[in-house]
Amino acid sequence: MAEPVLIDRPRADWTGIGLAIVLTLVIIFPLVVVALWAFTNVWRYPSILPQEFGLRYWTQTLSRPDVWQSITTSVSLACSVTVISAIICLPAAFAFARLQFPFRSILFFSFIAGQAFPKFGLLVAIAGIFLGLNLIGNFWGVVLIQLVGTLLYMIWIPVAAFQGVDRRMEEAARDVGASPLRVFWSITLPQAGPTIGAAVLLTFVNTFYETEGAWLIGAPQVHTMPILMISFINNQPVIQYGAVLSVILWIPSFFALLFARRVISGGSFARGFGA
Amino acid sequence: MKRRTFMISAGAAAGAALLPRTAFADANRIDWYTSSDANVTDFWTNIVVPKFVAANPGVTVNLVDTDAPGLQAIEARALAALANKVDPQADFFEGSEARLPPGALDAGLYVDFSKENLSNYSKLNPLAADIPQNITYRGSQVLLAYDTTKLSPDKAPKTFADLVAWIKANPGQFIYNRPDKGGSGGNFVVRAIWEANGRDPSMFKVDNYADATGQPMLQKGFDILKDIAPSLMDQGAYTSGNTQSIQLLSQGAVTMIPAWSDQALSAIKTGVLPATTGLVQLTDLALAGGFTKNTIPVNGLNKALALKLQDFILTEEIQSAVITELGGFPGVSWDYVSKELHDKYADVIPASIPTWPGGDWDKNMKDGWYRSVAPNVARS
Amino acid sequence: MALASASDIVGARKQGGRLVGLLLVAIPVILVAWMVIFPILSAVVTTLWQTGSNGVPAFTLKTYQFFFSDGYSLANLYLTLWTTALCALFLLVICLPIALYLRFAKGRLAAYVQGLAIFPLFVPSIVLAYAFIRVLGPNGMVDILLNAAHLPKIRTPYLTPWGPLIGLVWDHIPLTVLILLAGLGAVSDASIEAARDVGAGRLRLLWNIILPRLGNSILVAASFAVLGIFSAFTLPYVLGPAAPEMMGPFMQRTFRDLYDAPNAITQAVISFFFCIIFGLFYVRSIVNNQRNR
Repeated sequence: MAEPVLIDRPRADWTGIGLAIVLTLVIIFPLVVVALWAFTNVWRYPSILPQEFGLRYWTQTLSRPDVWQSITTSVSLACSVTVISAIICLPAAFAFARLQFPFRSILFFSFIAGQAFPKFGLLVAIAGIFLGLNLIGNFWGVVLIQLVGTLLYMIWIPVAAFQGVDRRMEEAARDVGASPLRVFWSITLPQAGPTIGAAVLLTFVNTFYETEGAWLIGAPQVHTMPILMISFINNQPVIQYGAVLSVILWIPSFFALLFARRVISGGSFARGFGA
Repeated sequence: MKRRTFMISAGAAAGAALLPRTAFADANRIDWYTSSDANVTDFWTNIVVPKFVAANPGVTVNLVDTDAPGLQAIEARALAALANKVDPQADFFEGSEARLPPGALDAGLYVDFSKENLSNYSKLNPLAADIPQNITYRGSQVLLAYDTTKLSPDKAPKTFADLVAWIKANPGQFIYNRPDKGGSGGNFVVRAIWEANGRDPSMFKVDNYADATGQPMLQKGFDILKDIAPSLMDQGAYTSGNTQSIQLLSQGAVTMIPAWSDQALSAIKTGVLPATTGLVQLTDLALAGGFTKNTIPVNGLNKALALKLQDFILTEEIQSAVITELGGFPGVSWDYVSKELHDKYADVIPASIPTWPGGDWDKNMKDGWYRSVAPNVARS
Repeated sequence: MALASASDIVGARKQGGRLVGLLLVAIPVILVAWMVIFPILSAVVTTLWQTGSNGVPAFTLKTYQFFFSDGYSLANLYLTLWTTALCALFLLVICLPIALYLRFAKGRLAAYVQGLAIFPLFVPSIVLAYAFIRVLGPNGMVDILLNAAHLPKIRTPYLTPWGPLIGLVWDHIPLTVLILLAGLGAVSDASIEAARDVGAGRLRLLWNIILPRLGNSILVAASFAVLGIFSAFTLPYVLGPAAPEMMGPFMQRTFRDLYDAPNAITQAVISFFFCIIFGLFYVRSIVNNQRNR
């Protein structure tokens, strides 16, 4: 079957070009400023470019021993949290989307509490819980509190995914004798795949940049990258440290973007089942 | 699908391999937290800690730098630890405030220094006196930083009345930050309140606030600020912190800001502010300054060592370093600092800095400013 | 037998499904109840049960009454609602075309556009705030370039209500685009082809085929945007005006500078209430979808 295209190939892709230009201006421009800053020693108005380029802040940032440690800690935290969150939340999302059980709506709704209520008033209570569990200053304590923060994303978004799956296809597969697990693996999961992929990506990135929970539970032993960034940028007119750290992180971010493109690019999944 | 599963499990395996071992608070390791700027942490790293460790072998000091909300989070954790009778993994808070978090003072979280018999306790500057759970060791003062290319030093305002006249004659060239977000704006607001009340800082003490008498006094100061509001940058904008004001000055968006003396000096040194930045202090009554407060939680594992550390930073050696290395103001009275140092820095550091009391006056000044001065219907 | 309706089969499985469902959701629910709901409830109780002037603790609504009678607090609430509504609107208007384009276009230009749309996810708020001041602030990059082109300077949105608005929209573009794009994945090419075969134009396609399928995703995206913006803190306080202030900075200020926990938590409960309303829309749509299928 010929691939359906809404945009005729021979003509130039004006929509795409227009979007690309607008987005480049709006998104790339501030980022270029941040990147320039990372390589600046002195930069004052009214000059368009810094008066003095330099790598002074790179050497100062990279010579701190805790920079690499904090990045690896953040990565291992984000990986652990995302994996555990996927394991406990995806089945729950499936249950919320498809199954009937008592209190379903209220329980589904309760996850909003994690995000909607600001944490400042809860710090003493939450710290009390973790102190009782003896998880302060501990890697797994930080995993636990960051895990709680991911529940909303990892349940609400996949629920939308599972509900968007075409039931008739599942029934058709069951009619030809596929087991429920086979149906789930081959029909449900691929169709829900892009949205779940979006949830996974969001969870990973949000956990990586999460600060409050990691600080409250992890200090003084667990140093994550955003905590380090706060101590660098804290009340400093010198923004270069933050710029350098940001730029360092853009390399792994680029890989995460490639991952996103593969999984979330909706066309490939839907097309396979529409043909 | 298979590749994705592989990537995820590879990531998990890598993560497991990178796990740090569980660690607990060490005896003989002081967990020190601060909300102050990087120049303070550098001061401690380079000067205070090496000297303290040399005098107390076997002890280490773990310096942890964060911002004000971060410090309060750890203090909240210490409060929870007090209730659960567990180790809070915190021994010393620099740049703290014993009244926070709410409830900590009543629960007895912080050490009462007046009862601890520190050998240097009597040397403290009486102007820095606050509740006994707060103790100080350094101070700093707010002054005016301005662009000398747009305002020549001989025309810089020297009294508050001059300053107000200059602001009105040069609309859009002055800005200060919200008083709760940074001391530079906060102490400017305080100076306006003093101006409106006869320039007598001694009228405002830690324990003499009452709504009936206090509110009118604050309002008179707010009236002055409301009066100059339309002449500020963008007809009444207020930045969100000390550094944002400095950033605007460095961007040339304004000509003059109030700034902490040590922040301004370090900004000039690092090139954030140009060398053509001038600093001036008012001569009729200086802009307020403040003393940084330290607190020590009663349930820290190394409380005794932390008290020793606090005593150590009040010695003459460290107090002199506060002046020479940090560009700050000593927490002890001038009698306890060497005379040569006193004379050498007499121009830059005045004999005394007027201070504003913490507690009810501070609280009502900040909230009152937000309610009376900040909303500006003239701004479109 | 082959014509028996699917609901019979599903119905037959419903009985066993009752317990299985509860089991599957047990772990996340327990985590949320223990670490979030319980602390929230104990915090809320402190606002409702306070020691009165006679020294006796009693049930009271006085902090809530104060909030709703205080013009300053209400102005802050109104500003937050205004900012949230406008942000959500801008986000949908900006991100829906991007998501639609990405769904149907292929090639490197589309990959570039997608990369750009998602990139803000990797920029932490505090760095974004400083970049904003440097670019859009007074005498920032935009002013410098306009100055070089001999054009008049713009009035900076920094320290006005538009500052946080622009910053928050920028910050939430990736989340919204991701959710909409993923939702568009469920719109099969076959249905589009079929509609085109009967002569539907682009607008018809959008209205009759795409948007109905996208309903859930739009709701999710809007819910997350509303949640994120209502309780946002860094961007509003760094980029916004001193007064009126958004609820996030207002609550923090009440708690930290005024040492006033009961009023701060009251403000938190009220914000929470508004977020809940939005969440309710989404939950209702999920329930309806379940029932209809």
